Amino acid sequence: MNSLFSPAHRQSLVISLTAFFTSLLLIALVSVLVLISFRGGAYFWPEPIYDVTYKDAVGSEYGAINNTSDTNEADNGNKKPQTSIKDRKNRENKENRIFAQLYITDEAERIYQVHYADDQSPYGAQMQLAEADVINMELAHNSAEIKTIDGRFVLGQPQFLTTPDSRRQDLSHFADIQSRVTALSSQIEKIRSERLSPIHESLASLDGKGVNRNAPARKRLETQFERWQHDVIHFEQERDEYELRITFANAQEYSIRVSEIKSIDYVSQLSYFEKWQVVFNRVATFLTDSPKQANTSGGVFPALFGTVLMVFLMTIIVTPFGVLAAIYLSEYAPDTPFTTAIRISVSNMAGVPSIVYGVFGLGFFVYTLGGNIDAFFFADKLPAPTMGTPGVFWASLTMAILTLPVVIVATEEGLRRVPEGLKRGSYALGATKVETIVKTILPIASPGIMTGVILAIARAAGEVAPLMLVGAVKFAPTLPIDGEFPYLHLERQFMHLGVLIYDGAFHSSTDAKNSSMMFAACLLLLMVVFVLNVLAVILRTRLRKRYLQG
Amino acid sequence: MLKLFERNTLNVADITDDTTAIDVRNLNLWFGNKHVLNDISMRIPKNKITALIGQSGCGKSTLVNCFNRLNDLYDGCKYEGEIVIGGKNINSKKVNVSRLRTQVGMVFQRPNPFPMSIYDNVCYGLRLQGVKTRRHLDDAVESALKDAALWDEVKDRLFESANALSGGQQQRLVIARALALKPEILLLDEPTSALDPLTTLFIEELMAVLKKRCTIVIVTHNMQQASRVSDYTAFFHQGRLIEYADSDSLFTMPDKKQTEDYITGRYG
Repeated sequence: MNSLFSPAHRQSLVISLTAFFTSLLLIALVSVLVLISFRGGAYFWPEPIYDVTYKDAVGSEYGAINNTSDTNEADNGNKKPQTSIKDRKNRENKENRIFAQLYITDEAERIYQVHYADDQSPYGAQMQLAEADVINMELAHNSAEIKTIDGRFVLGQPQFLTTPDSRRQDLSHFADIQSRVTALSSQIEKIRSERLSPIHESLASLDGKGVNRNAPARKRLETQFERWQHDVIHFEQERDEYELRITFANAQEYSIRVSEIKSIDYVSQLSYFEKWQVVFNRVATFLTDSPKQANTSGGVFPALFGTVLMVFLMTIIVTPFGVLAAIYLSEYAPDTPFTTAIRISVSNMAGVPSIVYGVFGLGFFVYTLGGNIDAFFFADKLPAPTMGTPGVFWASLTMAILTLPVVIVATEEGLRRVPEGLKRGSYALGATKVETIVKTILPIASPGIMTGVILAIARAAGEVAPLMLVGAVKFAPTLPIDGEFPYLHLERQFMHLGVLIYDGAFHSSTDAKNSSMMFAACLLLLMVVFVLNVLAVILRTRLRKRYLQG
Repeated sequence: MLKLFERNTLNVADITDDTTAIDVRNLNLWFGNKHVLNDISMRIPKNKITALIGQSGCGKSTLVNCFNRLNDLYDGCKYEGEIVIGGKNINSKKVNVSRLRTQVGMVFQRPNPFPMSIYDNVCYGLRLQGVKTRRHLDDAVESALKDAALWDEVKDRLFESANALSGGQQQRLVIARALALKPEILLLDEPTSALDPLTTLFIEELMAVLKKRCTIVIVTHNMQQASRVSDYTAFFHQGRLIEYADSDSLFTMPDKKQTEDYITGRYG
């Protein structure tokens, strides 16, 4: 007992205690990184497909639960399989055979999270499967993961291709046939844009002039329109007759239009290197495509673009604002209680919950400011609001207000670090106060300013709550930038990586258990913020080297 | 024989209007409630080196800062009295302070080169004056650096950072920076206190050369330096000018007891 309280021991106790909490911190950090990278990375990794035979034990605790209902299939010419309770009942205690990708969710109870496809749900479904129910399971070498353009996937064994002349083609002709289909598609698109649109416009202008329904000009246009429309339909039919026939594990057949196929990956027979190629392709799709299937598949390009654009606009707004305010506070403001009060409130602004800024942005920027702008400049479009609705500009402005304290505080810090001797040296050479600030103080304070701006960017890139109030949406049909004047549409709503993640987290509880697009988006956001921070550090050290040391 | 060591200096009382560079008349200065300079009157002669000595806080640096109105930077600084430079009272509100500071150059205790290239440092003042032509700037940089005896050391690396120079080189660069504006008066506020003895000697030699083209006022704590380089010396104590005379007389036979105590090191 005595020895426990000897000074040496007491010291080692303190060391262990502090080290313990430091290691906890380290564990927390590492687990965040590992979880996000692992789950996010697994989203891109091609999982092998297994041929699973299992007992369909409806009523048991881990019976097949169909999570994903097949939507949007009315336009698909194929028979729409309806999975209903009755079907299940009929299949009770029957053996089922499916192609599936397995994720172990519970090591102890041997329960799999299963992505599968069969004739009941050809476009993939999810269920949980207890290992006890599995009768047989083997790697399905010849089956492939077929991704469609609208972001769904099919697990099946490709058999052959059918062409409009009802001939069967070998699978090796797939690339050839796909290019033929692409050619047809572009032809259709060409007719639509070059022929049909102009005719449609002329017809509309005739309508506007009040031309008689039976006027010869109108008749002529209508015949032309019908002729081109006929061509389009013809081409579309031809295109849709190129199909890929696949079989499921239970030997049922199914056809997929070649025009709908985005990729076919034989994931079970890929070598390690080829798997990485698939990963690379999927990452490319992820970064360039738009979200599909209610943000559960496809890519995140609009969200990435929206995040970058919002952050960019915010930087443009907040940098001059914050720097000028900091210059006033540190160089001009007299040292009075009022200035002290301003300083304190600026620091406190950084602690205001971000949702408060969101509400402020909605109440002041969107409704008051935007509403008044509409009333004065866009009165002709009312009651449809132009600026009086959440949009990327208001979001940037709100985020600028939110990050302003960071920039002001960092800039003031930087300005305070400028040696007094340099300022006096500048004055002694006949520089006025403004010249001294512009030519000497600001360059030397630039590392501080940069730090502030980058911190602001990192904060803005990760913020979600206020954005959802002032312009960020789960799905925006258009980017805020396009080829139409004025090219940059600041009033449009936009997508944001943070909002996408938030949305993903509410999608389904099973998605959160294994890899999903949410984790991939999380990883991307993490990387964006990481890259920004690294850039900041590099820039700051370079500036510091240039302005402070030898 | 003694003539060898005699300096070509006049009595302080004999400095005429023509030979005066800075005429200080009844200058009083306060920082807040603190009376820092108490009724200073002195004439600083043209093209001579005048040393201001005295213990720390006696107001000599403040007086030097009055000559280019650098005290304006401090809140709560009030002053009365006149300082006449070039026939004009520079304490008047109508004076263009920026122009005054180009005519009255200043070098500080610690070398304070701007974190830019050597070239840009020397050009700083000229560019503020609106000189943009590359040829003019090149010429000015070369002549200023030559005047400051730095040209040979830096001519090959004019565009490297000034921070890479040694302390002595930096101080000479700061002198060159001030000389580039061709000032009539050069104020040196303890220019060598941060430098080693050899560099100090180098800068002292430089001063002896420079006094041919401008009036030099130097603040120093180093009595040897004051007696070595200056033609006139003023001793300050607690904001008052105690004694002002040619250096030879002041250091050999001071009038006042306080001066004698100080220069013999009995206090301060």
